[in-house]
Amino acid sequence: MSLLAYNGDDVSSSDTEPDALIDFTAMLMQRQNEYGNWLGCGGKMQNDHNEQGYHLEQYVLGVLDFSSQYGIDYSISYTAANIIGRPTKFPAYGDYPETFTMRTYGDWWQRAPSATREIQPQNMPAVATHDYIVVYFEDFVVPTEVAIFETYNPGAVVRIWAHSITKNWVCLWKASAEELSKSGPAESRAREARRFAPPLKKTSIITKTLRIDFNHSRLHYYTEVDAIMLCGRTVSLRRMQHTLQELQRTGPISCKLRSLKFQPSCRDNYALKLHEFINNDLSKFLVDNKVDESDVASATATTQIVASNVPDICLTDLPFEILLKILSYLDLKTLFCVGQVSRTFYDISTHPLLYGELNLKPYWQLANSELLCTLAKRATMLRKLDLSWCGGFGDVSPTEFKKFLTQRGDNLTHLRLNSCKFLNATCIETVGIVCDNLTELSLRNCATDPPLLNFSCLANLKNLERLDLFQTAFESELLLSMLEGNRKLKHLNLAFCGVSVNMDNVASHLATYNTQLISLDMWKAHFLSARGLQSIARCTQLEELDLGWCLREASLGDGLYQLLANCPKLKKLFLSAVRGTTERDLVHIATLGKNLEQLDLMGILNITRERIYDILVNCPKLQLLDLSFCDNIMERDFDVIAEWSRMFNVDIKSSHVPYDAR
Amino acid sequence: MHSLNWTSRLISRALRSSLSTLIDTATGATPKNGQVRAPRPHFVSVVCGFAKDNLRHKYKPGKYGEDSWFKASTDQADVVGVADGVGGWRSYGIDPGEFSSFLMRTCERLVHCTHFNPQRPVNLLAYSYCELMEQKKPILGSSTACVLILNRDTSTVHTANIGDSGFIVVRQGEIVHKSEEQQHYFNTPFQLSLPPPGHGPNVLSDSPESADTMSFPVKDGDVILIATDGVFDNVPEALLLQVLREVEGERDPVKLQMTANTLALMARTLSLNSEFLSPFAISARRNNIQARGGKPDDITVVLATVAI
Repeated sequence: MSLLAYNGDDVSSSDTEPDALIDFTAMLMQRQNEYGNWLGCGGKMQNDHNEQGYHLEQYVLGVLDFSSQYGIDYSISYTAANIIGRPTKFPAYGDYPETFTMRTYGDWWQRAPSATREIQPQNMPAVATHDYIVVYFEDFVVPTEVAIFETYNPGAVVRIWAHSITKNWVCLWKASAEELSKSGPAESRAREARRFAPPLKKTSIITKTLRIDFNHSRLHYYTEVDAIMLCGRTVSLRRMQHTLQELQRTGPISCKLRSLKFQPSCRDNYALKLHEFINNDLSKFLVDNKVDESDVASATATTQIVASNVPDICLTDLPFEILLKILSYLDLKTLFCVGQVSRTFYDISTHPLLYGELNLKPYWQLANSELLCTLAKRATMLRKLDLSWCGGFGDVSPTEFKKFLTQRGDNLTHLRLNSCKFLNATCIETVGIVCDNLTELSLRNCATDPPLLNFSCLANLKNLERLDLFQTAFESELLLSMLEGNRKLKHLNLAFCGVSVNMDNVASHLATYNTQLISLDMWKAHFLSARGLQSIARCTQLEELDLGWCLREASLGDGLYQLLANCPKLKKLFLSAVRGTTERDLVHIATLGKNLEQLDLMGILNITRERIYDILVNCPKLQLLDLSFCDNIMERDFDVIAEWSRMFNVDIKSSHVPYDAR
Repeated sequence: MHSLNWTSRLISRALRSSLSTLIDTATGATPKNGQVRAPRPHFVSVVCGFAKDNLRHKYKPGKYGEDSWFKASTDQADVVGVADGVGGWRSYGIDPGEFSSFLMRTCERLVHCTHFNPQRPVNLLAYSYCELMEQKKPILGSSTACVLILNRDTSTVHTANIGDSGFIVVRQGEIVHKSEEQQHYFNTPFQLSLPPPGHGPNVLSDSPESADTMSFPVKDGDVILIATDGVFDNVPEALLLQVLREVEGERDPVKLQMTANTLALMARTLSLNSEFLSPFAISARRNNIQARGGKPDDITVVLATVAI
C-alpha cells in the first residue's frame, strides 16, 4: 500500500475534478460508473444541503488530544481544557491562567543542551509543527470558517486540519513560510488579542473534529489560546448516510485512482502506449507527480536533473549507487512516488539503505497499519524510528506495531513514540524486550488506560543516553532501577511526572549512578525538597537544569549554591515559580553562573533590581532572562529593563497580568 | 494520566454509530424537551453587601472589600459561596482581597468542569486551593470560605465551611440547620492560607479537609442565608430569623433582593453602632475581653430560597 493511496490532502480535490478518471482495465469500468454516479449524486446532494442545512457557529465541546500544555494535568490553569467553550478572556490581552498555553516558546529549547535533531529531516515540511491540539465539537458541519481566539502573543497557528466523517484528515489551511516570518517578534508585540480566521480551502467534507498545529519559532513568549469556533453549514442526515455508504462502496483502488494527479489517456492498446509512455514521457510524469510544495528543494532538483537527462541517456544507465544517493535526499512521500514509476525505480526506491532512518511524524495523518507493514518489509537496516503523533483514531493497531518492532527493532538505536495513542502495556513490553540497543527512548505524553504504564520490561535497556518521559506517568521503582542500569544516561526529562514519584529519591539515585548527566528537566515535579537539590548538585557535568514549579515554597538552603559551585558548565537554569529563592541565591547566581545562557526567574518574590543588574553584569553569556510575575519588578521598571535588554543584549521577558483586568 | 483521557475507541465507535444516535436525538427531541421544562429544584438567590471602607472601596463584581462571593449553576446543581480574606496580611504588603476573590472565582470555574461532584463541596474548596499554587502570579494571603451546593437530583444541600463565615437555613419560622463556627481561639478563625516564603511555620494554615461539612435535604420554600462574619458578628440570630421568616417561599427575586438589602444595611448599621451589644461583643466578653458595640467589617449577604 502506498502513501499516495491515503493522500489526505487531495481526497477532496476529486470532487472538483470530474474527469480525474482512469480506465486502465475494463475491470475498472464498473468502478468508474459507480464513481460517476457518486459524483452525480454529490452534485444533487449539494442542492439538498443548501435547502436543509443552516449556518452554525459552535465552540469546542471537548479536547481529544494535545502534545503539551503549561499547567499540570488536574489543574485548570494554563491547561488544554481551558479551550472548551466560549472565550472567557477575549478580547482582553494578557497572560491569563484561564487559557490554553503550551510548554515552549521561541527557539530557546532548541538552543539548549538537551535539544534533539529530527530523524530523517528531509521529511519535515517548510513550516514544522511543534505542538498541536485536537478538539471536537457538538455537530457535524461543512466548515466555512474556523476562528481561533488568541489572547496572548498571537501568531503561532500554522495549520488547521479537519477530520472528515470518512476518516480522512484534510488540511483546511496552512501558513506559508513567508507568512510565518512576517508575523515576526516585532509584530507579535502588538499587545492585542486576535480573532484569527484564515481563509479556508473550499471543501465539502463533513467534520466535527479539528486539529490545530502550532509553530513556536517566531514567538516572543508563550502563546495563549482562549477558544476555537467552528462555523459551517449543518448537513442533513441523509447526506451523511450517503457519504458513509459511498465510502464503503468505493474500495482502496478507486480511492487511489482518485488521488492520482496524473492521468494518461490510453483508451485502446493501452499496454503498448503505457510502455511507450514509460520510455518517453517519464520526465513529464515525474514533474507532474511532484507531490506538493512540502517537498524539499533537493527533490525538485533531482527530478529536474533526471528530466534533463532522459532524452539522451536512459535512466537505468546511471550507476545504481548514484541513483541510490540521489534518492537518499528524497522525503518518504516522494520516495513512494518514485517507486511507482517503473520496476527499476521500484527496486531502487525500496532499497534498505534508504530506510535506515524513518520519521513518520510529518505524515501522522497518513500513517496506518498497512504503511507500517510495507515499511517493515523495506526497512531491514532500520536504526532510528520516529512514530510520534501517529495512530490516532485507531489507524495503527498495537499488534501491527509489535510485529514491526519484533521484525526490525533489534538494531534500533533511537525510538521516539511521543503522543502515540496506540501504545499499550504490551507495546512497551515489546520495546523493552526487543530493542535492547536503544540509546534514545522518547515516550512523551504517552497516556494510556490504565494510567500507570507497565514499564517493567524497560528495565532491560542498559545503553540509554537519553530518556524522555515528559508528561508520562510511570512507576518510581522502575525509574530508579532504570537509572541504576543506564550509567551512561546524559539527558533525562521527567517533566509532569505525576505525584507518585518521590523526586528526592530520584535525585539521590542520579547523584549516585548517573554522574554523566548533562540535562535534567523536572518541570512541575512534586516532592522535590532542598535535600534533593543538594543531591542534584553532585552531578557535576550538568549543563541544563529545569526546576520550574518544583520546591514550591520550600527554602532552598544551600542547595543552589552547591549546584552552581559544583556545576560550572551550567548553561540553562530554570527556576520558574521556585518561590523560596532569595536574594542570597541570586547573589550566588551572579558570582558563580559564568556560563549561564538562559535563566528563568518567573514568579519569584522580592527580587530587587540591583540583583538583576548584578546578574546581567556578571553573566556575560546570558541570552534569555525571564522576570515575568516578579512582584518587585513593577511597570515603572519596564523602561529600565528594556534599556538593560539593549545594553547587555539579553532577551528579558517581563510578562504580567494587569491588575485592573483581573 | 490525562483527565481528558484519549477516547479513540469511543470516537470511532461514535462515528460508526453517529447515524443511529443522530436519529435517536432527532426523534427523542420532543419528550426530552418536555423533561427539561419540568420544574427542577433550584435556588432563587440574590446578593448584597458593603465594603468596610465603603467610600474608598472601588466596586468590582464579586467582591465587597476583602469579601468575595460567587453563584454558579449547572444541570446538576446550584452552587453559592462566600469567602472572607484575612485582613492581617495588609501589613505584609499583600492585598487580602485577592486571595478570597481568586478562591471564589476558581470555585466558579471548577463548577463548570467535567469532574465536578455536587456531593463534595470540600473538593471544590480543595481543588480551588490547589489552583492557587499553580498560578504564575503569586497569590498570597488567607481566607475563610463557605460553599453550599444544591444537588438537583436529590434536593439535598451539601455544605463545606472553613472558619467563621457561615449559613442559616430557615423553615417554618425556625432555624433548622446552621453552620458551626470554627475558631482556633477568639477572633482567629480556621483559614486556608498561602503564606509568603519564609513565614510558613508561623502562619495558621488549615487544610481544606478540615472543613466542617454537612448534608441535609431541603424543602420547597426554605430560606438559606450565606454570609460572612460581618453579618453574623453584628446581627443577633433572633433578629436574622425575624427577617428571614418573612421571605419563606418567596420566588420573586426583587422582593428577595429587598430583604437582602435590609439585612446588609442592618449589619452595616449595627457594626458602626458603638453602644450595641453585638454577638461579637458578647463573645469577646466570654473571653474576658471588655468590648462594646459592633465590629466594623466587610459585609456580604447571599440570600436564597429553594424552589422545587
